[in-house]
Amino acid sequence: MKKIYCILLLLLLSTSVLFAADIHFTASASKTEVSTTEQFEVTFTVNNNGDRFTPPSFTGFLVVSGPNMSTSMEVINGNASSSMAISYVLIAVKEGTYTIGPATIFSGGKQLSTKPLKIKVVKGSPSQQNNAAAAAAAAQSQSTPDSRVTVKRPGTDINKSLFIRADVDKSNVYQGEQITLTYKLYTRVAIVGSEPEKLPDLNGFFSQDIKSPNQNPNWHVETYKGVKFNVADMKKNILFPQHAGNITIDPITMLFVIREAAKASDDDMFGQFFGTYNDVKYRIKSMPTVIHVKPLPPGKPDGFGGAVGKFSISTSLDKKELKANDPLNYSIKISGTGNLKLLKPLSPVFPADFEKYDPKTEDTIAEKESGETGTRIYNYLLIPRHEGNFNIDPVKFSYFNPATGKYVSLPTEGFKIKVNKGTLENNVTAFSGADKQDVKLLNKDIRYIKTSGDITKNGEGFYDSNLYYSLLAFGPLLFLGALIYGKWYEKNNSDIVEVKKRKAGRIAAKHLASAQAQLKANNSKAFYENVFRGLYGYLSDKLNIAAADLNRERIASELKARSLDEGLINELLDTLDLCDMARYAPVSGISEQQMFDKAKNMINDIEDKL
Amino acid sequence: MRRIIYLLLLIISPLLAFSDDATSALFKKGNAEYAKAQYKEAIASYQKLVDGGYRSVAVYFNLGNAYYKNDDIPSALLYYEKAHKLSPGDEDIRINIQLANLKTTDKLEATPEFFITKWWHGFILACSLGTLAVLSVLLILAGALLLILYRFTQSVTVKKVSFYSALALVFLGLVCIFVAGRQADYFDSHHEAIVFSGSVTIKSAPTLKSKDLFVLHDGTKVDILEHNNDWVKIRLSNGNEGWITATDIREI
Repeated sequence: MKKIYCILLLLLLSTSVLFAADIHFTASASKTEVSTTEQFEVTFTVNNNGDRFTPPSFTGFLVVSGPNMSTSMEVINGNASSSMAISYVLIAVKEGTYTIGPATIFSGGKQLSTKPLKIKVVKGSPSQQNNAAAAAAAAQSQSTPDSRVTVKRPGTDINKSLFIRADVDKSNVYQGEQITLTYKLYTRVAIVGSEPEKLPDLNGFFSQDIKSPNQNPNWHVETYKGVKFNVADMKKNILFPQHAGNITIDPITMLFVIREAAKASDDDMFGQFFGTYNDVKYRIKSMPTVIHVKPLPPGKPDGFGGAVGKFSISTSLDKKELKANDPLNYSIKISGTGNLKLLKPLSPVFPADFEKYDPKTEDTIAEKESGETGTRIYNYLLIPRHEGNFNIDPVKFSYFNPATGKYVSLPTEGFKIKVNKGTLENNVTAFSGADKQDVKLLNKDIRYIKTSGDITKNGEGFYDSNLYYSLLAFGPLLFLGALIYGKWYEKNNSDIVEVKKRKAGRIAAKHLASAQAQLKANNSKAFYENVFRGLYGYLSDKLNIAAADLNRERIASELKARSLDEGLINELLDTLDLCDMARYAPVSGISEQQMFDKAKNMINDIEDKL
Repeated sequence: MRRIIYLLLLIISPLLAFSDDATSALFKKGNAEYAKAQYKEAIASYQKLVDGGYRSVAVYFNLGNAYYKNDDIPSALLYYEKAHKLSPGDEDIRINIQLANLKTTDKLEATPEFFITKWWHGFILACSLGTLAVLSVLLILAGALLLILYRFTQSVTVKKVSFYSALALVFLGLVCIFVAGRQADYFDSHHEAIVFSGSVTIKSAPTLKSKDLFVLHDGTKVDILEHNNDWVKIRLSNGNEGWITATDIREI
């Protein structure tokens, strides 16, 4: 640009002498009454070449750009004339009336000066104040030397014909509700080139780019605030607000190169003819957009994991009956529109005895302008280790539907699984019996069956039976009986006289028995001896008289005392006499057998009587 | 005296012999089938005896063995434990229980018993109830006879010996009665069961909705504490307690 000016200046200087005529040096402003923060242009024009231009002091104004020099050349009827314009873009800062002082220039060997300009500044609208601040900032950035790029501050007019809008489909949403954000470029000027300078951070949002199928922006015509614009969607995002409150979408900043006609006076046909233009760079910044995010309403159902949108859920199981140690696939499919990618994995309850692995997530999610739509599938690998009947309980999936403002809980199908006995050992030992293997029992087997043994009916056990108790009691009872018997026995035998009396008959019988034996042996002497002893012994015992004291009289008196009848006593005494005699001499008149019977009868009679 | 001996023989003989020929034949058939490794048939034979109301160490033990060989560990353990209950001191049963337990899934660290309790249980469970009963009857009877001898003998030496040995025998007999009583009491109050479900979740309360506490697998022995409708409160050897549905276990 500067080169062009230099060449033109050289050309002009070389011809200045030729066309030296009356020279005017004028100052003009685009507006004499401006509002604060409004940009306006002050131009100093000289209809000749000039040098040593001294600008006035622009007290009360801010120089936005300038000095911008432009020169023009015109040839009228063979007379060529040139003019030169130096312009400044100013912004009034404060209201009031200001005077821009004279500017001076040397032209044609003379110093020329302009008349002062009066500018009246009135209070501007607030929206323009933003511009003023921005302009001030831009002016400051301009003061830093930048040799490569000249970035022009967009003037009011360019601001109105080239801007970026951050367009959201809704600005009042629930937390987690999806928003479609579109950066739209509105333009009425020719754009030569563009480059993004600062992309928004989109803090506070989970953002997903919507990738447009074609690379070039799709231009269309749109009427915005009554003005027709060429509009292109530059960038589209799906946003999910992460927290409640007002979240600001940062502005996007882009650099545009705009082709502008070079500044020239309107009647500069030369410039128009040759289509002189300048490519000017403008930095365009979109306005920040604020999204009002409402927190989710209270009453979150159990198992709510932050899903917002509209979803459906289904579960599936690849087999219902299998062997232990075989793998099993359980999948949960969630499809719909909403923050699918932000879903937390559901936590279905599996039987405690199943070996389970973390779910594998499969996404088929498309980012469209309407939002994030698609399906997410959680695949759970399960391995039942033991046989049995198991249940996989239904899962409850809850989401918030922002359209209705209500929570929705979707139950899923539960499953019954039958696990059969699997192939033994191979896997099981590795898991469950690992710490049991330290017992080395390789060559051991269970003990062999018992081939003999008792078999009893239920309840026939000896213990606790009546027989058991009676047998237990039998011993003590036996002992008790023996004790009683002993006592009785002792009591009976304590009186010797009585015992003798009792035994007298028996002893006599003994003697008589032996007498009978003698009788059979025809030993008559021994026979009588025995009969005599038997009778005497009997009487001695029975009457309790010592054998030495025993004589006829004693026996007779004792028997009489026991009131035995006279006849019996006499008979007894006769028998005794007879026996006594028979011991020494044979007796007649009575046989031995008769004698024996007599003695026996005698004892029996006495026994009966006493 | 001779009559008493005959009576004793009459009592003891049924404890040593089979009650009838048909039962004996069935038992022998089962043994023969087991020997030929026809375990399923052997199970059927033994089971017939058990179903017929016969309870015997030999039948239970053999049935347990047949189940073990047939890879039905929970059933094997159930009948081993039944046999163990009838004859607590039997080493064969103890060893087979140990071996069968190696094939179960759950490994439970038993809470150590107080050594006196352990000794006590070992003591009261050393002999079977039947043995203890016969022994106690014999001891008491012998003691009584010796006391009678003591009462009627004339010899001082015999008197002394018979008196003290009679006291000793009666004392031993009383100990036998006491131990038998304790053992019967132990088994009365000590109900056990074997888990029969491949995998069963133990709940904290006798309802399906209550919390899951832990998982047991088949073959595990549990103590029964309490019944509540279809639920049984159980305790594991490691001290944990919980509720299980009655259909998942079988009482020993």
